[in-house]
Amino acid sequence: MRQLRSLWAGWLPGVLAALGLLGFAVMLFVVLLRSAGTISFSSIDPQTLHVVQFTLYQALLSTILSVGLGLLLAWALAHQPRFRGRSLLIALFSSSLVLPTLVVVFGLIGIYGRNGWINQLLSWVSGHDLGSYLYGLFGILLAHVYLNASFASRAFLHAFESIPQEKYKLAKSLCFGAWQRFWIVEWPSLKQTVWSSAATIFLLCFTSFAIVLILGGSPKYNTIEVAIYEAVKLDFDLPTALKLALIQLALTSVLVLLSSSFRSSITNLKNSTARIIWQESRGIIWLQRGLILLFTLFFVTPLLSIIVEGVDAGLWQIVQRPIFLQALVTSLAVATLSALLTLLLVLVLSSAKRNFDMPTRLGRSPWARLWSLLITLSGNLYLAIPTLVMGLGFFLLALHSALPRTLWAWIAILTANVLMSLPFAMAVIYPQMMKISQRYDKLSFSLGLGRRERFFAVELPYLRGVMAYVFALSFCLSLGDLGIIALFGNESFITLPWYLYGLMGSYQSQDAAGVALVMLLLSVTVFVWITKLFGGRDVTH
Amino acid sequence: MQKTLLIFLFSILALYSASKPTLTVYTYDSFTAPWGAAAKVKEAFEKEHNATLKFVSASSAIGALRKIQLEGTQTKADILMGLDTATMEMAKKTGLFAPHDLNLSRISLPVAYSDDIFVPYDYNYFAFVYDSDIVKNPPNSFEALAAMPKDFKIIIEDPRSATPGMGLLLWIKTVYGDRASTYWQRLSPHILTITKGWSEAYTLFLKGEADMVLSYTTSPAYHQYTEHQNDIKAALFKEGNYGQIEVAAMLKRTKHPDLAKAFLDLLLSEKFAEIIPTTNWSYPVRTPASGLPKVFEILPRPKQMLLMDPKQVEQQRKIYLHEWLRAIGQ
Repeated sequence: MRQLRSLWAGWLPGVLAALGLLGFAVMLFVVLLRSAGTISFSSIDPQTLHVVQFTLYQALLSTILSVGLGLLLAWALAHQPRFRGRSLLIALFSSSLVLPTLVVVFGLIGIYGRNGWINQLLSWVSGHDLGSYLYGLFGILLAHVYLNASFASRAFLHAFESIPQEKYKLAKSLCFGAWQRFWIVEWPSLKQTVWSSAATIFLLCFTSFAIVLILGGSPKYNTIEVAIYEAVKLDFDLPTALKLALIQLALTSVLVLLSSSFRSSITNLKNSTARIIWQESRGIIWLQRGLILLFTLFFVTPLLSIIVEGVDAGLWQIVQRPIFLQALVTSLAVATLSALLTLLLVLVLSSAKRNFDMPTRLGRSPWARLWSLLITLSGNLYLAIPTLVMGLGFFLLALHSALPRTLWAWIAILTANVLMSLPFAMAVIYPQMMKISQRYDKLSFSLGLGRRERFFAVELPYLRGVMAYVFALSFCLSLGDLGIIALFGNESFITLPWYLYGLMGSYQSQDAAGVALVMLLLSVTVFVWITKLFGGRDVTH
Repeated sequence: MQKTLLIFLFSILALYSASKPTLTVYTYDSFTAPWGAAAKVKEAFEKEHNATLKFVSASSAIGALRKIQLEGTQTKADILMGLDTATMEMAKKTGLFAPHDLNLSRISLPVAYSDDIFVPYDYNYFAFVYDSDIVKNPPNSFEALAAMPKDFKIIIEDPRSATPGMGLLLWIKTVYGDRASTYWQRLSPHILTITKGWSEAYTLFLKGEADMVLSYTTSPAYHQYTEHQNDIKAALFKEGNYGQIEVAAMLKRTKHPDLAKAFLDLLLSEKFAEIIPTTNWSYPVRTPASGLPKVFEILPRPKQMLLMDPKQVEQQRKIYLHEWLRAIGQ
């Protein structure tokens, strides 16, 4: 009886949280739909059609390029198992997830911009430079590939390293070349990961906002997200914004449904040390080394340029500005609160889902599968509700409300951050919880441990690492995000990304360089420090 | 004892806050720049009225209007300053602004002006500005501009967010009429970037990012006056240069209607006409007794001001914008 009660307590909060999240999505939809009222969708004007087409087009190209490059890189790394700094390099590539988007964009401008390193080098060598080539489709693809290829390569590398050694031995004895080896041995094991990564990358690029906002350069290169933003901020044309938001919502829902069969899990961060033993031919070795070197250069130079420019810019002066301090304090508060909320929600959701999925707990009860599905859905809402659509919903609520606008800004930004972090958090926490249950449920139930005892004595020691990782991840994602703040930011509510966007928008590159450096350092330090300090064991790499 | 002290303190506080109301003016960022007009205007206003004048800037005047709309009932704005005749009808449609009740006979503009809500405070002519040290043969017409070599780049402002951008849109419309769309397609390869506001565009130009920037015929005066630099020049176009009359209005919702009116009155004063040329780098709406500064006298000035009727602009604005977006997007 006591066990049943404790189980009751174990699933109710999670179900309530899931229902709350889903209810929120429904409410948002109702708000948008009710405000839309009289908009007709029978005629979609050519401009809207162009935006939709371009959004799909750039997402498709970004996905193909990111997956292709990520696969090449992973292949090279998998077959170069021993060189100095390899594990550091892999850790660096997987860190792209926590790099603030805007900071990456700033770094890319430092390299590929009109006065970037490449043009400087070219004009020093040959007297001519490439002029301005970054803004537009090229810039958008470059930034998407930068962020996604590096991260995808981490997942692919893991898939490579999970291939049983026996298969390689067999292939070796059959004298396979590198190409045969890839198609016959490696591709079948990689397929699943490749498709699921491609689906996720496509969704992320489809709803890309900050990158397109800055690197798009003109209305020619607008994604739906940016078009929503411009309709609100430039034209105050709410009907157009609503129309775009509903189109966006419909498209993402279809995409999420279509891709759900591919997307097994979002992140694959498990550790693996299996190394592939294979004596490569000289040409292949050089190809692999070349690939690794080139990608490292591609990845590291923008970060270097941020450091160089930031130090040059007189960091000390910039960090003393009152407006910077205001943005810093707001950002730290937003990030901390978001991370705490994410952690709380993910624990509650995962724990309830685990109870429904474990046959030894509630797995056999009639509605278990449905509840489990609902919880999964609520944790992955972010993929279906793009940030700006959510922002518009909040904005419409705020417009007709007596509550102070700053309060709405807080509610909107925290909700957006939590929803953004949840899919990643679920993908990390839930498998770990399942593992603990599978291993220790019988023991802890036979010892008659209560809920609290079970959590602190049995689960926490094993969860600590992933919890720290989730906290750090959510903190960094929230710290660096330029999304909803673009609709809600004002003089009294400034975050670091919003401040940086303002500085970049008005071409105050000195100050922007300083702020970008601070954000970069903050993200990296917090991430490394929290995962090390509270993590205990290294769970990330 | 303590109670009386508290009451005393509170009454001082109340007196203090009651005696010093704050009038908040939303405007574009170059007005509040260190070299801009804001500081002197504030000084002039506060000297005559027992109030604090506060400027809040957005990256453009249209941006400031959107900010007021976005803030809805919670806006702190009492005055919106910086729209022009091309955008003021759009602003009127929001129903947020109140009549000024001022007599506008004091002003003299190159074209006739009358409006019961918006008060004009300066005017200017749009022009492409270049560095004569770098651009030796500047284009002197729209045709010449479109015919420049492919690597000749210009920076313009977005007509949806910045009044100069809207100005260029209407300028080209005035000159080309139904063929405006085709002209934009020809101009498109020369556009380096489209910025949200004038300041961004001009900053990029000064950094040497482009050959020309859409600015004003008076921009060279700034460089001559403050930097003694004579290379920056404005291109007068054969087709004529489009004008801009900048205007301000008070919000219906203002808690200080009298102060707001006093501020609008200041915009028509001689004092303001003395401040504006060398801070906002525009022609004042009335010539001060001391005359215009010398740099203004030697500036080349378009013979006539191209300007569309505000009401006509508002009727066609969305159509023009769609046409522009399509032409640029192809």
